[in-house]
Amino acid sequence: MNLDHFGMDTITLAGTLEGKLRAVRDAGFTQIMFSARDIVGHPDGEAAAVAAVRDSGLRVTGFQVLRDFEGLSGHLHAYKVDVAKAMLGMCRALGSELLLVCSSTLTHGSGDRELLVRDLRKLSMLAVPLGIRIAYEALSWGKHVNEYPQAWDLVERADRANLGLALDSFHALATGTELGGLEEVDPGRIFLVQLADFMWQEIRSPEERLNTARHFRVFPGEGVHGAEVAALVRRLDEMGYRGDYSFEVFNDDYVQLPLPIVARRARQSVKWLTDQVSRRSVPIRRATRR
Amino acid sequence: MTVLEHEPANPLGMDGIEFIEYATSQPQALGTVLQTMGFMPVARHRSREVMLYRQGGMNLIVNAHPDALPGLVAPTSTPELKAVALRVRDAAYAWRRAQELGAWEMPTRASAMELNIPGIHGAADTLIYFVDRYTDFSIYDVDFVPLPGVAPRPPALAGLHYFGVVQTIGPDRTADWVDFYRTLLDFSVLPSGQYFGILPKGTLLESPCHKFYLQLIEPPPGSEDIVWTEGLLRIGLGAPDVLAATRALKSRGVVFVDRGPVQTSEKGALTQVYLGGVTFELVVSHLQP
Repeated sequence: MNLDHFGMDTITLAGTLEGKLRAVRDAGFTQIMFSARDIVGHPDGEAAAVAAVRDSGLRVTGFQVLRDFEGLSGHLHAYKVDVAKAMLGMCRALGSELLLVCSSTLTHGSGDRELLVRDLRKLSMLAVPLGIRIAYEALSWGKHVNEYPQAWDLVERADRANLGLALDSFHALATGTELGGLEEVDPGRIFLVQLADFMWQEIRSPEERLNTARHFRVFPGEGVHGAEVAALVRRLDEMGYRGDYSFEVFNDDYVQLPLPIVARRARQSVKWLTDQVSRRSVPIRRATRR
Repeated sequence: MTVLEHEPANPLGMDGIEFIEYATSQPQALGTVLQTMGFMPVARHRSREVMLYRQGGMNLIVNAHPDALPGLVAPTSTPELKAVALRVRDAAYAWRRAQELGAWEMPTRASAMELNIPGIHGAADTLIYFVDRYTDFSIYDVDFVPLPGVAPRPPALAGLHYFGVVQTIGPDRTADWVDFYRTLLDFSVLPSGQYFGILPKGTLLESPCHKFYLQLIEPPPGSEDIVWTEGLLRIGLGAPDVLAATRALKSRGVVFVDRGPVQTSEKGALTQVYLGGVTFELVVSHLQP
């Protein structure tokens, strides 16, 4: 595991797209995760944003985020399919091979597993001609799917090659979901791992969860759940996961600090994590990949 | 397998290929190649620069209209396979069902008094059409004007018929495309090792009507330096007797590849590359033309 396996996310940084690309590259990272607003909010238009990303030489970790897609019916479903198509189109234009999809938070959405599976399959099929993989993530305040084992259950049932799981350490920590559930997960079907910690021990309500998630995340090694984050990465490494780790750090302080300072903290976090993982994983025999 | 299990395996009532479409900015050059392959021009589109070629049961369309296919760029001088039209029981139903399952709808391109052929997006910028008028009345009756003095149904050379289409796909994309064709169009994967012809590679999918095949080919190992894009690569033509078919085609000027592992045999043959990108593969075929 080395620096090339880790990337930053534009949501952690303030300023222009070009500034973010420069800061991330200057810090030594080779990949970066984008949000749709990096593209649509660019003052010179979408094509200029795409060109800036291409010119940066950075690899695109993925593109986020399609929200509240699954479990809808009638005109709501049709509306979301249109949104999904537009997101897939942007994802493709950006050169991203991965679209992050968060579990639905809508009270209007059904929790019927068959319906959810049907919608995930549909999204996967829409993504095939564009060469995009769908990474489905359990948002910890999702209405029906809020823990990764539930998301994995749907991914496994949907059974489409370009549909996989996105794991976010923040959500698993926030809901106190055990890592034991990973035993059920095929490491080849984990498409993305997002890492973040936070500063307090416990989150008491869904509202506090949302608030913490959006404003108070920190890089692994900076929060109070470092051991758990490191344990998660170690576990994934032992399972045979060889995909990307992206720092999904929403932090109100970081978006008002100079970019090089924040990028340096991300870089320190990589070092901290790889130290933690390599130090303790040496004596443990690697699980063979299925 | 019981008959009951077979029944729902073809929910669209798929019934073979209605036509295959090329786009090119140089339709005469492609027309010449097609004629050596036995396809004869039989009709011209009423309003567009589009020609219908025919050979036995095969319809082949050459589209040179500047906006050849909806939403796409103008055709290039190198002809490209751009569409496959599938015969189905109910085109509107097939189109709706495919979209419900996650197909991209194709924008319509019908002009006034022209048929609107529903379609979905396939690999890259190719299209898959659904056609349900192919028995007593055909789509060409509406949109095409027959060429004067030309036999409308030229016979097939040596029993040639559509056997399949070869699609190039990106690295590690076989499973994605298998899911695509299985889910949207009810194709099934042939057991690995079951191949036809002389180019045994990739993954073979059989249509639910058992009348044609799709061959998916990932970039071969060691091809990291070549440009390998997803798209439709070539047509496979079935022949009951490949050697008789190659003899007939050679006498018309068709050149077959004869080097290394690609040699004409009773199993199959491959033509040289025409116009920078057009090849035809012959495959010994058990299919009924």
